[in-house]
Amino acid sequence: MPKLRHIAIAAEDPEAMAEFYKKAFDFKEVGRPNGHLADGVFLSDGTLNMAILKFKTDQLGKGMDFRGIHHFGVLVEDVEEFTAKLDSLGAKHYIDQGQDGHQAGYFEKKFFGPEGVLFDIAEHGWAGAEPLPAPLKDAAE
Amino acid sequence: MAKLRHIAISAKDPDAMADFYCKAFGFKIVRSDDGVLARGHHLSDGTIDLAILNFKTDQLGKGMDYYGLHHFGVLVENVEEAQKAVEALGGKHYIDTTVQGPGGFEVKMYGPEGVLFDVAEHAWTGAEPLPEPIKDAAE
Repeated sequence: MPKLRHIAIAAEDPEAMAEFYKKAFDFKEVGRPNGHLADGVFLSDGTLNMAILKFKTDQLGKGMDFRGIHHFGVLVEDVEEFTAKLDSLGAKHYIDQGQDGHQAGYFEKKFFGPEGVLFDIAEHGWAGAEPLPAPLKDAAE
Repeated sequence: MAKLRHIAISAKDPDAMADFYCKAFGFKIVRSDDGVLARGHHLSDGTIDLAILNFKTDQLGKGMDYYGLHHFGVLVENVEEAQKAVEALGGKHYIDTTVQGPGGFEVKMYGPEGVLFDVAEHAWTGAEPLPEPIKDAAE
């Protein structure tokens, strides 16, 4: 089964917000993304990547002053397979990541689901996120 | 370490949205509620509780017509200690749960820039518990 492995927060001051969650919950800093869409801080609880980002574009259509939880990300086995599935369910493809995106721990494809909720899918895990569980047949070997 | 174990979405139509994520990703509905704060469904990927809810109050101050990602939840070993730590860092207490027992939030708090999050020491329905401490796992 795909796994929720990423949550992104739109922040005015990602540095201060990241410090708060590091101190409050002992989340660890695992990266400093700085791209054309956003820059900020990647944190990890050992399972999920929590991205605290200052966005450079209005991805949600809620204005550049939107602050709060922005999108989530789902780790899947096969991005192409899930792209076809999401399309068939009425989700709207938004953008893809650059070719080296997965190496930097970013999303691979962004979609809008029902009611305009934005989410990513990726088959390469976000920085600091746990990989998909091994299939049972592999685990038994 | 505390663990992110809950993500909540504000939805106008939680039935349709829950159906979408079940079909898209194979997530399972593990609980459906109609409480004082919200009505909707809790989905699980086996690790995280994804709550898709129609909220009945404006918890975020963004208006009752706000739809989108709403809050997240952190599973901790001790809620009181976590609450004190958050408050010492400038976080603000919002409300405590009105429902006794495991399966939902226990305390809601606002962090920097008004981001709302829950802390709980009983795992959300369908969410994985905290890992066993290393000393226990070695026994």
